[in-house]
Amino acid sequence: MSSPGLQGLRPWIIQRVSAVFIGVFFIYIFLVVLIDNPLNANDWAAWVATPYNNIFIGLSLIAILWHAWIGIRDIVLDYVPNVVGRLLVLTLFGSTLIGSGLWGLKALFMVLIK
Amino acid sequence: MAVSDNRPFFLNLVKIKLPVTGFVSIFQRISGLLLFLAIPFSVYLLDISLQSRTGFNRAVEILSAPLLQLVSLILLWSIVHHLLAGIRFLLIDFDIALEKQQATRFAWLVLVIEAVIFMLLTVEIFL
Repeated sequence: MSSPGLQGLRPWIIQRVSAVFIGVFFIYIFLVVLIDNPLNANDWAAWVATPYNNIFIGLSLIAILWHAWIGIRDIVLDYVPNVVGRLLVLTLFGSTLIGSGLWGLKALFMVLIK
Repeated sequence: MAVSDNRPFFLNLVKIKLPVTGFVSIFQRISGLLLFLAIPFSVYLLDISLQSRTGFNRAVEILSAPLLQLVSLILLWSIVHHLLAGIRFLLIDFDIALEKQQATRFAWLVLVIEAVIFMLLTVEIFL
């Protein structure tokens, strides 16, 4: 069974480009945790409110959601053979990702204007 | 769709003996799935931890529950493995270490490096 728009080179490339972006982000996060862990409420909010951190987290969030979408879609296509089942599961997962994205970006924006 | 009749459809995962490269691959999928499942909850924690001091303390309290400590450890391992094995897959895309012996060594290298990074981060975060 083929699902138009769900296979091909484009998602493969997006998966890899987003992977590099997310990889750099997590290496940055790991270094922050290991070197200067912002472990109280004020430091944490201030760290996230720093413009370049805020933008980097926001972009990484979008990259993570896009990357996760392609990954979970591959898993669903592998294990859910039924078309209706695929549609239901992918709709559920897709809307969860979009919802998480909007929620996360709102949280990142609110800490900026606080 | 032409499919040969004797092709196994449901593979018995317990009976399959995977080489180390296979383990790195399947863990990539498992860790990716776990990280996917963690996204909404992580965003929730991000939100409340940024809202106020009370919210931050609430997030710390939630994460301090023994079950959540275990979940956090598994997710930390998932991130480290997904990152390290992901770098390996990107290098494979560039035709690096494709020979069997090299590939095996490379897979072991990924597991060793990820164990070291995982332990460093675990000590820093949990102790």
